[in-house]
Amino acid sequence: MSATRTTRLPSKAGGGVLGWLGAGLVIAALLALPFAGNSYLLTFGFSVLIAYILGQSWDWVAGEMGYVNLGHYIFYGFGAYAFSIALVSGWSMPVSLVFALAVTGLLALLLAVPLFRLHGDYFAFATLALLPLMEVLAYNLTPITKGADGIVLPVAQVLTPAYLLALAVCVIAFIATLQINQLRFGYALKSIRNDEQVAETVGVRIAPVKRLVLVISALFGAAAGALQAWQMSYIDPATVFGLNVSLVPIAMVLFAGSGLRFGPLVGVLLLASMQQWLLVNIQGYQATLYGLTILLIGRFMPGGFLRAKWVKKVPGLAALSREHHEYAGEAEGVSAQPDVLPLPRLRADCAKPLIELQGVRMQFGGNVAVNDVSLKINEGEIVGLIGPNGSGKTTLFNCISGVYTPSAGKVLFAGQDLAAFGRDGIARLGVGRTYQIPRPFGDLTVQENIAIPLMFGAQPMSPRDAMREARAFVDYAELSSRLTDRADALSVQEKKALEFARALATRPRLLLVDEVASGLTPVEVKRFVEHIRHMRDRYGITVIWVEHIFSALEQVVDRVIALEQGTLIADGPLAEVVKDERVLSTYLGASARSRQGVLPC
Amino acid sequence: MEVLLQVLIGGVLLGGLYALVAFGLSLIYGVARILNFAHGTLLAVSGVLASLAFTAWQLHPLLIATLLGPMMFVFAYGYYHLLLRPLAKRSHFESTVGTVLVTVGTLMILSDLTAKAAGATQRNIPLRMPVIEYGDIIISTTQLLILAGIVALTVIMHLLLKHSWFGRAVRAVTQDAVGAQICGVQSTRIKAMTFAFGSATVAIAAVLYVLSFPVDPYMGFSLTVKAFTIIVVGGVGNLPGALLAGVFLGVAEGLTGLYWKPEWAPALSVVAMLVILVAYPKGVGVKT
Repeated sequence: MSATRTTRLPSKAGGGVLGWLGAGLVIAALLALPFAGNSYLLTFGFSVLIAYILGQSWDWVAGEMGYVNLGHYIFYGFGAYAFSIALVSGWSMPVSLVFALAVTGLLALLLAVPLFRLHGDYFAFATLALLPLMEVLAYNLTPITKGADGIVLPVAQVLTPAYLLALAVCVIAFIATLQINQLRFGYALKSIRNDEQVAETVGVRIAPVKRLVLVISALFGAAAGALQAWQMSYIDPATVFGLNVSLVPIAMVLFAGSGLRFGPLVGVLLLASMQQWLLVNIQGYQATLYGLTILLIGRFMPGGFLRAKWVKKVPGLAALSREHHEYAGEAEGVSAQPDVLPLPRLRADCAKPLIELQGVRMQFGGNVAVNDVSLKINEGEIVGLIGPNGSGKTTLFNCISGVYTPSAGKVLFAGQDLAAFGRDGIARLGVGRTYQIPRPFGDLTVQENIAIPLMFGAQPMSPRDAMREARAFVDYAELSSRLTDRADALSVQEKKALEFARALATRPRLLLVDEVASGLTPVEVKRFVEHIRHMRDRYGITVIWVEHIFSALEQVVDRVIALEQGTLIADGPLAEVVKDERVLSTYLGASARSRQGVLPC
Repeated sequence: MEVLLQVLIGGVLLGGLYALVAFGLSLIYGVARILNFAHGTLLAVSGVLASLAFTAWQLHPLLIATLLGPMMFVFAYGYYHLLLRPLAKRSHFESTVGTVLVTVGTLMILSDLTAKAAGATQRNIPLRMPVIEYGDIIISTTQLLILAGIVALTVIMHLLLKHSWFGRAVRAVTQDAVGAQICGVQSTRIKAMTFAFGSATVAIAAVLYVLSFPVDPYMGFSLTVKAFTIIVVGGVGNLPGALLAGVFLGVAEGLTGLYWKPEWAPALSVVAMLVILVAYPKGVGVKT
């Protein structure tokens, strides 16, 4: 996300009552529409409702989770076919609808497995390729789908009930959107959108979340398809799987603003009205016009016009540009003493090993990044991990936190083999880590960044409680003035502080700190040293600290471990290790052997 | 036996053409990080144009190719600057969806306008050329011409990429755009050039395509899917990989048509792509 975007969030919208009143009025007006007796208007209204269901359900996967599912329409088409086939075979309408939802949900569950192995462009392309695949299936499985002839449903006047049902689904979809954003589920989606790997290393179990959101989204897509088929009483492959119709709801959402509370609603209303006007007034070039609309939206406003600066200045529109940040600035529970964190006070047993590596080896093709490293670190120790760049320090961290699965060897944490745990499981066991280059959840606030590990820790908290508790960590990291700012608007130093505070919020027993002091001023380094000592002394947290600044390490570490080319070359008190021949030669070259004592320690 | 052989020959030629289309797409993806959903549609449109030019003015296909290639180059160069380059500055999500919408919009416009102008029917270039009989086997000179065209284009592309400044710049930008820029490569220009170059390749491949296979305005997207499958199998920016994967796909499609039903052939590439992506989520032969 560009840094020029809003950094400070608008204060909590005051007009809650007004909003509900407005929503009630709109729904009442929509409910009255069937009784106005204008079937043209009613058909148009129906198509808008269907488009909203599709757009909103697409946006749960895209806007909330950041996966651009270009094949969302297959759920619509699949639902339409399942419904029609069931209805034609003599089942009643409600049973057919339930059947359509069930089989489409199952399809989504099946597709989730292969699709979510992919990311970014590959995910987008694979999902888009599903449309022609479904179209081929619908054309060729003639015994079931009647091929190009399409399926004709029993004729019935169902416009009014279909409209009312669609309206109900729309209301459910909107309320579901509000709900999702207040649940831990919603925060899981947001963390995945920002950085999947970090989400996992702070304890979010991402696979079930991804599956669930795709299934929910598919269910709403299927409902839209079934209702559309019911209302039209005819479907064929091109109308439900055609490329030129399938991207329209997506374009509508993007036009106003994907991921915004009112984005899908506003986008669908505006563009559906325009589309209707074009259909009536311009004959023959529909596909070109669709294409042109989609192209222009993509070129000029893929972020949505509601995110434009001028919208924020127009009183009525500003409320529509609201982003999903619930519980922003939740003020309760600010800790009285800034030094006290809501962390358990572990009793460190200095004789008990907390983490033990047995012959850990990490190989990328022929490149051995970590070469049979064995080491043991006891509870309550602070250990410095040193070595030149590329010596495998971060790779070792990645092996411990589950980012990589070691090619050989064992990592034992408090006696448990970590091979049995995923990244999120390791985080919940009590391994917290920072990243060398800070990786905050960029489009979330500082407070939300810290609340997420609290929500998904070993003792999960509700979002509201987590947001409250996060205050203490924010204060501790001296980021109080940035509480409701987006994390990507922070300075590098602030990001490092946030990174450290977020790792603490996983309530770790072992903290892996990766070059958190590099690039900081001496005063800031000193503060970090104090923080690390504080963590051990007060909360009993064991620390492994990767750092090049020896003067910082010297102040706090019990011992250091040195790596070179992935191999452990020294292990002992800092003063001894820096006199080690091999350490000296790797750091300063062979000539340094004759000039011992050059190192600043 | 002869039928099988004919199918195999047809499959190899079709696969070679797929590979050319795929290689253009893969160059563009590697350098500009743009998945051009309209890439296959460029072949459809160029094919229809070539066929129209042939029927209207009886131009020789070679002449048509030499005209169409540069035209497409200029068009694509302008298209990139006007519509795609500005999206690169946006956030990751926005540039992804923006690129998708722009290129899919282009696909729809091109298909629709071509169908309006030339009709939605299938077309080709009915070039009459002698056949060579070798025992039971009949080889048409048209097929030989296509084969020669594929080989020539492949060799030219290979030489260009390996032994020219442009090629080195392309490979440098593929690996690291910023790094290349620091070393004095004008990344933006190289991206535009590559986009144009990849599109021009498709235009020339289109002329070879219509000599033997029918084109219609709406066939483009399935071709893009095939091209993408080939990239996934062969690796981004890997010319031999693309050729191998392309020929494999072409022959497999031919055999599907022969031993099962031709209408299932389009599903083959999608299923193949999904299966391969599941096995190798980052592509098989990632190489530049």
